Amino acid sequence: MIEVEGLTRKYGAFTAVDDVSFVAEPGRVTGFLGPNGAGKTTTMRVMVGLTPATHGRVTIGGHLYSDIPNPGLHVGVLLDASAQHAGRTGREILTLGATTMGLPKSRVDEMLALVSLSDTEAKRRLRNYSLGMKQRLGIAHALLGDPSVLILDEPANGLDPAGIRWMRGLLKGYAERGGTVLLSSHLLHEVEIIADEMILIGRGKIVAQGSKESLLADADHSSTLVTSLDNDLLGKALQHKGYGVAAAGTGLRVEAAPVDVGRVAADNTIVLTDLRSADGGLEDLFLALTSETQRDVLPEGAQA
Amino acid sequence: MSSTAALGQIDINANPPVPMSRLAQVEVRKALDTRAGRWFAASIIGLVLVVEVIYALVADDADKNYGDFLSIAGGVLGYFLPILIIMLVTSEASQRNGLVTFTLEPRRPRVVVAKFVAGIVLAVAVMIMGAAMALIGTFIGIASGASPEWSVDGNLFFNGFVLANVIGVFVGFAIAMLLMNTPAAIVGYFAYSLILPIAVGILSALSSGFEKVAPWIEFNTAQTPLFMGDYQPSGEEWAQIAVSGTIWLIIPLVLGIMRLLRIEFK
Repeated sequence: MIEVEGLTRKYGAFTAVDDVSFVAEPGRVTGFLGPNGAGKTTTMRVMVGLTPATHGRVTIGGHLYSDIPNPGLHVGVLLDASAQHAGRTGREILTLGATTMGLPKSRVDEMLALVSLSDTEAKRRLRNYSLGMKQRLGIAHALLGDPSVLILDEPANGLDPAGIRWMRGLLKGYAERGGTVLLSSHLLHEVEIIADEMILIGRGKIVAQGSKESLLADADHSSTLVTSLDNDLLGKALQHKGYGVAAAGTGLRVEAAPVDVGRVAADNTIVLTDLRSADGGLEDLFLALTSETQRDVLPEGAQA
Repeated sequence: MSSTAALGQIDINANPPVPMSRLAQVEVRKALDTRAGRWFAASIIGLVLVVEVIYALVADDADKNYGDFLSIAGGVLGYFLPILIIMLVTSEASQRNGLVTFTLEPRRPRVVVAKFVAGIVLAVAVMIMGAAMALIGTFIGIASGASPEWSVDGNLFFNGFVLANVIGVFVGFAIAMLLMNTPAAIVGYFAYSLILPIAVGILSALSSGFEKVAPWIEFNTAQTPLFMGDYQPSGEEWAQIAVSGTIWLIIPLVLGIMRLLRIEFK
């Protein structure tokens, strides 16, 4: 269990993390989601004592990280898969970790097999690894001590689709056995399929948290994407009813619920080829909640 | 799961902390497990051997005692041993593996002690190799006709060989922790060990007033009596070592440790 209590981290006038509180429960995969620079990494760095908190604190399993003896046996950490000496081989990096934790050398082979790094790959130096291989090695390193808590910063970054599926299975299984998993990502789809709980963070503040279902329940379904055989006629008919209409791709975006759009089409005997809610699930919610912290302004209809 | 305490709780009595011996062992391994580290260590020994062989072939037969060879080995090691230490410490920031090092042992003072222990272990190992190279040099000297004296002056051994090199190791630590960047620390070290003494030598030649002050404020100059003459600094010379050592070693070392304990490894 990870408990973040009123965590604030300031760098001079800049507030990287602003009064953040949440709990990552055992047996659950908690996704930590936010745009670039939202404060995810800083929060995770404070968790493991690499960065001191300005206010507030984080406990893992009821203790400050720095109070846990031989913490590698309890908390598996992957903050940056590239943050290893580029001149060491993959096997050597794991061996150093296993030696520090006091684990037998056989554990290194077990972990290499678990993350599917071959013997030849394990003998290569880190500078010759692809990002995906570095991620696999980093996950192997985090799992070395058979920890009960996993803290992973952008673990899916650089993994191929098969790798992402593999990691999803690994983390789900881990949580099912009672482990606590916290993983961060700026990619919503990654988190959406892996995480049971989601923490959405933007500009250092938590903007929403809960399960996927509870987050979606709060969103209002008041706009619709529709495509028909006669978009012009449909558009006029909808405007006549007083709904806002805008062109979106090959169809229209209407400020009305799908059922109302369908009714107008039926009344005017227009054949619809596509009708769906424009609240594109979590992605829209995510973009809306973090809109003021986004760097890029999305063009209208691009979410479709 | 290794934790058997209440769900989600970690039992901090379940296992002991990482013992210091293991931390130090890992640090020694880290100094030698990269190509850079391994080749550098091997090159130091190789360089000592080359210098010893050349000396054995060109020096006067009267100056080919084991003690002569030992002081040459000490001199070569003195220049390069600190760089091995600099690479060991600065790679935590320059190669960024500090993220892992200080996550596996978040009590940073323990990592600092482990690095000091590892540095001393490495220095002693390299010194033993250096002494062995001096032995080879002496034998080559015999082959070329010299009849060497085998006994070594205790002052030469302790002051000129061991103490001078241990000081070098700690200077390496101080510069490494202060700069926390491999290239900058190596350049800084050579500026300190090569350029500074030359500058002081020039100033001393120009001004006799400065010549008197120099050993009090410049550490290299102050250390000269350790490996010159009878290898036995006088009381005043020890005082000069202490005063300049405070300026160039103790203060930077304390500042460096404070920096390492606070720095945010990114």
